[in-house]
Amino acid sequence: MDDIAIIGYAQSPSQRRAELTEPQFLFPVISEAIERANVERRDIGFTCAGSCDYLSGQTFAFVMNLEAVGAWPPISESHVEMDGAWALYEAWVRLQHGDIDVALAFGSGKSSPGDPSEIYPLQLDPYTLTPLGADPVSMAALQARAMLDKGTITEQEMAEIAVRSRTNAANNPYAQVRGSGDVDTLLREPYVTAPLRRHDLPPISDGASAVVLATADKARAVCERPVWIRGIDHRIEPHQPGMRDLTESISTRQAGRHAGIDHGPVEVAELSATFSHQEKLLREALGLGDEVQVNPSGGALAANPVMAVGLARIAEAARAISERGVSRALAHATSGQCLQQNLVCVLEGA
Amino acid sequence: MTPAATEPDDDNSVKMMDYFMQLEYREPLCPVVRRYADQLLEGRLIGHQCPSCGLVYLPPRGYCPICVVETTDADETVLSDRGTVTNYTVVTPVQYYGQHETEPFVRASVTLDGGNATMNLQDLVDVPVDEVRVGMRVAAVWKPKGERSVADISNRSWGSAEGCIDGWRPTGEPDAPAEQFLGKATF
Repeated sequence: MDDIAIIGYAQSPSQRRAELTEPQFLFPVISEAIERANVERRDIGFTCAGSCDYLSGQTFAFVMNLEAVGAWPPISESHVEMDGAWALYEAWVRLQHGDIDVALAFGSGKSSPGDPSEIYPLQLDPYTLTPLGADPVSMAALQARAMLDKGTITEQEMAEIAVRSRTNAANNPYAQVRGSGDVDTLLREPYVTAPLRRHDLPPISDGASAVVLATADKARAVCERPVWIRGIDHRIEPHQPGMRDLTESISTRQAGRHAGIDHGPVEVAELSATFSHQEKLLREALGLGDEVQVNPSGGALAANPVMAVGLARIAEAARAISERGVSRALAHATSGQCLQQNLVCVLEGA
Repeated sequence: MTPAATEPDDDNSVKMMDYFMQLEYREPLCPVVRRYADQLLEGRLIGHQCPSCGLVYLPPRGYCPICVVETTDADETVLSDRGTVTNYTVVTPVQYYGQHETEPFVRASVTLDGGNATMNLQDLVDVPVDEVRVGMRVAAVWKPKGERSVADISNRSWGSAEGCIDGWRPTGEPDAPAEQFLGKATF
């Protein structure tokens, strides 16, 4: 595989209820990513978007999002009904063909108009799970319970993860849930869905993220410090959660291995741990030791713009390298319930 | 959500399951569409004119997708409520659930005088279906001020004035030449 670099990235601030429409809040994000990449819009040979029409409540809502890209004269573009991290994967594959040298990937989601507990059960088995209203919080609670029963996590550790996320988010201008906190205080809060408390859950967020990719020669020509994608891989597990051991993530482990995590030390990991216990589960699946800085941005517990949050992890990992001098970082994105599908991307500075 | 109903067969095995679902979405109007809706109540059609290419967007979107530039209140323009039918479709209703129409009716695109701004899926009034043609001159039939409503305006209903305009009535002026409009894209 040819080396592909991240040469530009941008995010919108995550908001509980965006006043603007999805194309409207995407607009400045895409413009900023292109500007930071030091390329012209017409240099982009391929564009791939990640979004979900079910969130928007309108069929073909993703077509409207292209207005933020500029699609006239006609452009070459594609869409994944997935997180923007998978749009980036498609753009990365597209660049391997070698006939174009710049690609744009973006993700966006406006969760505020709908009710996640009504929408998400629809992605589950229509006979056995959807009619039960198996929403993400209930599914995540089952997973956390399985981990607690197995002894691989404690409620104390879950609260510690939440506190660290909020503390890290204090300096992240895109975050939605910030601030310090005290583990004991959080543990006195009631359960939302046992064993999950409010701090174990992500916020409901509206937001967008965008990343510009380039082939090696182009990246060196336009960018002082390109962030190289050394490996990227995604794996999926069965749709039926009853067929999986929810206390581990085989697909994350496989994706990490194929992305080449163990080819060098990881300094920073940006993980799409949407629920607190998932951070520990992912750390173990990826073999991350205590020396690895996990979610310095605050992660998905601080801002969870569905369909943009995974790509935001890639943008944050790239930011750690290009702005904070980190030399090797990884980003993780997830899709489906209880970490059903996982993508791992390994980034390096030089 | 409604619980599933089952239809047991003779042997009591479930052959079919009905599952009725409904999703509700509530999205407040974004500022530029809010402004558009407020102006509709006043009997005015407003748009944003792109400062770069001059194209007019109705309702305003807050950007021009062609030039990829943002538009603001400074780019607001009041549009004519007279225009020309630039395209239309005769819809023959099939009586599916929720269809209230029983006779063939027209949905027309009306390009407003003085620019490119086009309102799509508009009702035409006081004109038989077989007399509708591209180039026909029409004027908006506004509801009386107190009866106007913007309840059906959403961030997605680009071009809609439902609840404020009953439809468009032929003015009787000579037609504009149809070839001026046919085969062209409208925005």
